[in-house]
Amino acid sequence: MDSAFAHRNPDASAFEDGPLRGVRIAIQPNLSVAGWPTDAGSGALAGFTALEDATIVRRLRRAGATLCGATRMSEFGFGLRGSQAGVALQQQAADAELVLDLMGESRLAAWRAGVCGFKPSYGLVSRFGLVGLIPSMECCGLLSENLHAIRDILNTIAGPDELDFSLPEGETPDFPPRPMDPRATTLGTVTEAQRGLSPEQEGRFRASLDALARAGFSLRNLSMPDFDLFPVAHRIIGSVEASSCAGRYDSVRYGRRAPGARNWNDMYLLSRGAAFGPLLKGYLIQGAFFQFERYDAYEDACRIRARLLAEAARLTSEADFLVLPATDGAGVGAPASLAETYAQFAATAFANVVGQPVLGLPPPAGAVSSGIQLVGPRLSDARLLALGEQVLNLRK
Amino acid sequence: MEYEAVVGLEIHVELNCATKMFCDCPNRPGDEPNANTCPVCLWFPGAIPRFSQEALEKASLLCLGLGGELQPRSAFDQKVYYYPDLPKGYQLSQAHLPLSRGGGIDILDDSGKPKTLRIRHVHMEEDVAKLVHEMEGRVPVSLVDFNRAGAPLVEIVTEPDFRTPHEAMEFLKALRTQVRSVGSSDCSMENGTMRVDANISVRPRGTEQMATKVEVKNMNSIRHVGDAIVHEISRQSACLQAGEPVVLHTRLWDPDKKVTLPMRAKFEGPCVPDPTVPVIELSREWIDRMRSRLPEMPARRAQRLVAQHGLTPEEAGFLSAEADVAGFFEALTREGVAPRTAMHWLATQLLPAVKERGQELSRSPVTAPRLAALLRMLSRDEINANAARDVLLRLFDTDESPETIVGARGFRQVSDPSALDALIETVLAAHPAAIADVRRGQAKAMGFLIGQVMQASHGKANPKKVRDLLASRLDAPLNPAGQNAVEP
Ligand SMILES: [Zn+2]
Repeated sequence: MDSAFAHRNPDASAFEDGPLRGVRIAIQPNLSVAGWPTDAGSGALAGFTALEDATIVRRLRRAGATLCGATRMSEFGFGLRGSQAGVALQQQAADAELVLDLMGESRLAAWRAGVCGFKPSYGLVSRFGLVGLIPSMECCGLLSENLHAIRDILNTIAGPDELDFSLPEGETPDFPPRPMDPRATTLGTVTEAQRGLSPEQEGRFRASLDALARAGFSLRNLSMPDFDLFPVAHRIIGSVEASSCAGRYDSVRYGRRAPGARNWNDMYLLSRGAAFGPLLKGYLIQGAFFQFERYDAYEDACRIRARLLAEAARLTSEADFLVLPATDGAGVGAPASLAETYAQFAATAFANVVGQPVLGLPPPAGAVSSGIQLVGPRLSDARLLALGEQVLNLRK
Repeated sequence: MEYEAVVGLEIHVELNCATKMFCDCPNRPGDEPNANTCPVCLWFPGAIPRFSQEALEKASLLCLGLGGELQPRSAFDQKVYYYPDLPKGYQLSQAHLPLSRGGGIDILDDSGKPKTLRIRHVHMEEDVAKLVHEMEGRVPVSLVDFNRAGAPLVEIVTEPDFRTPHEAMEFLKALRTQVRSVGSSDCSMENGTMRVDANISVRPRGTEQMATKVEVKNMNSIRHVGDAIVHEISRQSACLQAGEPVVLHTRLWDPDKKVTLPMRAKFEGPCVPDPTVPVIELSREWIDRMRSRLPEMPARRAQRLVAQHGLTPEEAGFLSAEADVAGFFEALTREGVAPRTAMHWLATQLLPAVKERGQELSRSPVTAPRLAALLRMLSRDEINANAARDVLLRLFDTDESPETIVGARGFRQVSDPSALDALIETVLAAHPAAIADVRRGQAKAMGFLIGQVMQASHGKANPKKVRDLLASRLDAPLNPAGQNAVEP
């Protein structure tokens, strides 16, 4: 039984020659491939087949990659409930996976599978053809055991797209790998990001930092008193965006129309009521609550987000990169409630709120140290991946 | 108690862009239903809106043409409501940060005094789909045509400066003229490219109180807007007089019954910023570049025509309403035609003839240089007015110059006294009674004699010369009434 995949590509041969020739990539069914079922894991899109390729898919095909199929995903990629992200890698059925990252899903899935998970800078990768949920936070994440594969795939899919104006012109990072000199690199830690750790977890994170210091990196202690506000801002703004953007799933043009409606209003209520699962429904209802009943709180959250953006930019100017703890015990259980879901992503949501690139590294095999997150300034993706390679090399 | 109305208008103008606002589909709502659609304007999963540069330019020109201040930063929001005409459950509209603020239009109020009606702001938004309700046998069905979904619109929101239906109608006429002249829309209420909603309230005259307003929709001509406001003023005044409160709601104008009827309002919530369409940032240089593309606005052009060519404000207003017509007039004056003559021939001869042929002035074969050549011959007395009119009509059917036509057709006017004298001799000999009447000072008789001479010359005699010669022969005073008799 092939439990990792929701859809297997019936013709998994590559048609073009290119830098990704022979690389097997699993996507999720929220990335449009013409003719493939594209339901984003939701009953709202059950039976929907994409009409055209997403920009990412078009670029992967052109680079010679093999699309091996779409893995099972959580509803609209929100959280990891029902997600099989990372399993295809563990089963060695794929060399890399694309996993939607709304609040840290690609990093958590990577830690769960013991591989690397990368979330690019917001806007660096086109969202054309991506069936998303929270447009201002989401990004297609990359999972692989091998950072070279992640770099090559990112190099292929990144860059301006005439079908998506999200990436401002002239903002493309250069990908040719550059050696990273640890002695010329400052890594910042954030005191408040370590607050929730148990003494044992803290010890393991310390051990990771010690290894970096031994390799010659200078470590610098930084403070960001508002670090706790990231998940709060994410939850309010994310739910409002999701509620508004999911409005298109109204059963008028596609999706399943629930029977028995006497009028339009009925049709919407019955169809939308049947379309979404309980976790997502709770999220959309929460968003509608903030939009219609507590708009002031939503506006506050937007102001807080602007402040957090400035704070995060300050942190990454005081150090070249940040090192933050990974989520320990990632993927153990998939919570059914909103509160538990957000608690699970408390350590990762920050990167989605500010749109900065982040690389999740697994703990070294059998070691006492933990997994970590490396964070770079916006569009430092290439340098961040080079740093990741350096850190992995230390473990050899 | 006497009441006065407080009215503000919200005007939707459909921009005449080649494509829709967020995709490359043709902006032709009238085509075969659902012919002009794509995953973006149907809002299929994975679609991403791409804001059209042309829509931004046409909207900006419109704002500048209305005297608005383009904002350095504007953005789209999501106006949420659920209805089958809205493919994604929200409409992209600039609710919080509009494209332009301020501006206004000058009109003459009911008593003929100038009044400025202020514009609060102009924002961009996308149009929604069109619903068609039909019967399939005995089952009512609603069909959705997405050709219009995503069509580029601007909404012009005025201040509540209007006090009378006349002001609203004058405003709309002037608005239409100004928007047409910048080339952003044809603003036809009949075709739905201009749609007007009116917010109407009444209050005791002389007070400044804020009364509850009623929104009226569905007027499809400027006259209907006036009629609907008239009706609403009397309906609301009657309510107040009877001690009934006016409640906030929306009404539809029924053009057949000439009444407004209450309608059920759509649910609308607060707008949230759209996270996908980038914020629009306009630089000083870009705004200046747009401003330099702005044609002279009709009101300003009319003022200039009055000052420069001595036209009356009415004449100048008539010419300036259409940029083509004013341009043609100025081309004639540059060719040396006297402003009065140019105005007269344009308004009474050329425009009716162009219209009769179903042509457009700018594409008519009668160009300004050709008409000017004809009018110069008229002013030099080489032909008379009758002949000029005849030649003008021939210019529509031939490429020949007016001079050639006049020469070939023998239209050239006879002004030579010796040639005219012979004709006058014959006419006088045949009409002794008329001579006696002229000598008694009867103007009609003079006109009769001139007419006889003209007839004898087959229309080619110079009537002014004929009158002069007759007057000196009969020793009669020159009479303006006689002039009218020969110059139709
Ligand atoms: Zn389209």
